[in-house]
Amino acid sequence: MPGYALQRLAQAIIVMMVISVMVFAGVHAVGNPIDVLISPDATQAIREQAIRAYGLDQPLWRQYLDFLGRLARGDFGRSFLYNMPVLDLIASRLPATLELTLAAVIGATALGVPLGIYAGYRPSSILSRAIMAASILGFSVPTFWIGLVLIFVFAVNLGWLPAGGRGATVSVLGVEWSFLTLDGLRHLLLPALNLSLFKFAMMVRLARAGTRELMLTDTIKFARAAGESEWTILSRHVLRLIAIPIVTVFGLEFGSTLAFAVVTETIFSWPGVGKLIIDSISSLDRPVMVAYLMLVALLFIVINLLVDLAYAALDPRLRAQHA
Amino acid sequence: MSPLLEARGLTTVFETRAGLLPAVRDVSFTVAAGEIVGLVGESGSGKSVTGFSLLGLIDPPGRIAAGSVRLDGEELIGLEQGRLRALRGRSIAMVFQDPSTTLNPLLTIGAQMRLALEAHGGRDASAMRARAIETLSQVGIADPAARLGAYPHQFSGGMRQRVAIAIALLNRPKLIVCDEPTTALDVSIQAQILSEMRDLARNIGTAMIWISHDLAVVSSIASRILVMYAGRVLETGPTRDVLSAPRHPYTQGLLDSLPAHATPGTALRQIPGSTPSLVDIGPGCAFAPRCARASEACASDPAESVAGNRRWRCHHPIAAVA
Repeated sequence: MPGYALQRLAQAIIVMMVISVMVFAGVHAVGNPIDVLISPDATQAIREQAIRAYGLDQPLWRQYLDFLGRLARGDFGRSFLYNMPVLDLIASRLPATLELTLAAVIGATALGVPLGIYAGYRPSSILSRAIMAASILGFSVPTFWIGLVLIFVFAVNLGWLPAGGRGATVSVLGVEWSFLTLDGLRHLLLPALNLSLFKFAMMVRLARAGTRELMLTDTIKFARAAGESEWTILSRHVLRLIAIPIVTVFGLEFGSTLAFAVVTETIFSWPGVGKLIIDSISSLDRPVMVAYLMLVALLFIVINLLVDLAYAALDPRLRAQHA
Repeated sequence: MSPLLEARGLTTVFETRAGLLPAVRDVSFTVAAGEIVGLVGESGSGKSVTGFSLLGLIDPPGRIAAGSVRLDGEELIGLEQGRLRALRGRSIAMVFQDPSTTLNPLLTIGAQMRLALEAHGGRDASAMRARAIETLSQVGIADPAARLGAYPHQFSGGMRQRVAIAIALLNRPKLIVCDEPTTALDVSIQAQILSEMRDLARNIGTAMIWISHDLAVVSSIASRILVMYAGRVLETGPTRDVLSAPRHPYTQGLLDSLPAHATPGTALRQIPGSTPSLVDIGPGCAFAPRCARASEACASDPAESVAGNRRWRCHHPIAAVA
C-alpha cells in the first residue's frame, strides 16, 4: 500500500509538471497582456517600465523558472486586473461554484440513478419510455438555451424564482454559502437545475444500461431463485453492481463542472470561478489563468484518486490487487 | 402417496424474431420426496429451461405457454408473483452451472446468505449466522465461521459451488433443481461434489432434479432419469434399467458415445448430425433425421408407450431385453 501511494504521488507530480509547461506556453500564446493593461497612448518609457515590472522582458523559459520558484513557495502571483493574490481571488469565488456544482451533480445522481434503474428494470413500461425521452432532451438541448428558458418561465413569467445572483449567504468558517439560507436556496435552484439536466440524462442512461445487462445475469437469477424480493435485488445487488461506472462519471462530471460551469454561471450571473476564468481570459490576466488551470489539473488528479479509492471500497477484487 | 412435484404437459416457448421457439414441449414427470431425478440431454434440449420453468424464472421473451406444475399439491403455473417468490428458496431452490457468475462478487458470502435467509423471514442476526455456519459445514467448507466474511473471489471454483449449494440449502427446501452444478468444475472436484450431494440429499431428505449433459454424471447420482431431446422427454425410467436396456434409439446413441463403452484405441462413436432448430420443428419425431431406425412412420408424432415404470416415445423402440 505505501508503494501504491508513492507511485500515485510520483504520477501526480509528473502530470502537474507537464501541465504547468503546457499551461504556461499556452497562456503566453493567447496574447500579450501589456496591450490590454496599458493604454495605447502611454509613452514608450512607461510601457517598458510596466513590461519590466511584470517580468515580461525576460525570455519565456526564464519567466517559467521564476514562476516555478514562486510556486514552490506557494505563491501563484497577483492578478493584473484585481491587484490581489490569485489564490485569494480564486478562493473567494470557489465556494459559489462548489455549492452550485455539488447541488447539480448530487441532484442529478440522486434522481437519475433510481430512475435509470427503473427504466432498465422495466424497459417497456410507459414511465420508462417517458424517462428515456426526458434523457434524450437532457442530452440534446443546449445548456444555454435551457437556462434562458428556465429564466423566462420561472423568473420572468411566473415570477417564482430569482433570475440571477447568489441571494443571501451565511458565513461558515469564513466562507460565504448560499445553500444555508432560504433566499440562497431559491437563487441556487434554477442554475443547479440547468447544470444538472445533462448529468441527469447521463446518469439515467448509465444506470439503465447497467441494470438491463445485469437483469439477465445468473447473479440476479440466483438471487431470485433464493426467493429474494425484487426490491432486495434492486437495492442490494443491482445498485452495488452498477456503482462503478456511476462513481467514475460522478467524479469526472463533478470535476469538469466545477472547472467549467462557465455558461450557466454567466447566464445566471452566478459569481463563481467560471465567470472569473472567462473574465481573466478576455483581459489576458495571465496569473489567474495559469493558477486556475493548474488548480483544475490538481483537482482532476485528486478526483481520480478519490474515484480509484471508491472503486476499492466498492469492489473487493480491486482491494486484493493493491493490498 | 402423491409425489412432491408433478409436472404435466409443461410447455415453455420463446418469442424470437425467427418465430415461436418451443424450448420445452409437453414435458411431464414426477419427483417423489427425497428422490434424485436426472435430466439428461444435449445442449439446447430444453433441460435448463425445464428447470427454470419449475421455479417460474422464465424471463421475457420466454413464457410458460401450457401445462401444470404442482409442488406439494400447490399449482405453480400462473401463481401470483408474491406467493411464487415465497416458495422459491424455501420449497424449491436452484443451483446454477457456473459458480463464478452466480454469486455476487461484491458481497461477502455471509451477507449473501443473510439476504437469502431474510427473504424467508429471517430476522435474528445470530440465528441467521448460526444457520449459515451450519449449512456451510454441511457442504464441506472448513472453518465456516471465518469464511462468512470472505468474498466469492477468495474461494476456488469447487468451494464457490459449495457456497452456492449452501445458499440453496439455507431455507431447507424440499426440492433443489441442480442445473449442471459440476460441469464447470475439475473432474476430481466434480466426483467429490457428486458423492457429497448424494449423501446430503439422503441425510436431509431433500429431493433433487439433477440436470446434466453428461450421462455418466447423472447415472452416478440419480435413481431415475429423463432423457430430453429438442424440448421433449424421449425416455424415462429407473436409471439402471434405462442405461442397461434403453428403449429409445437416442438413449442408445448417447450410451454408445460414452468413452467407457468404447474399445480403447478406436474412434468414439457419435450420433450423426446435430440437434435440430426448434423454430421450424415439424410435427414428427424430432430425432428421426439422425436416427438409423427411422421410417415414414416417424413423420408423425410418436405416442408415449408405457411399460411398468418406464416410458418412451418412439415408433421403432429397441426391443426390451428379456
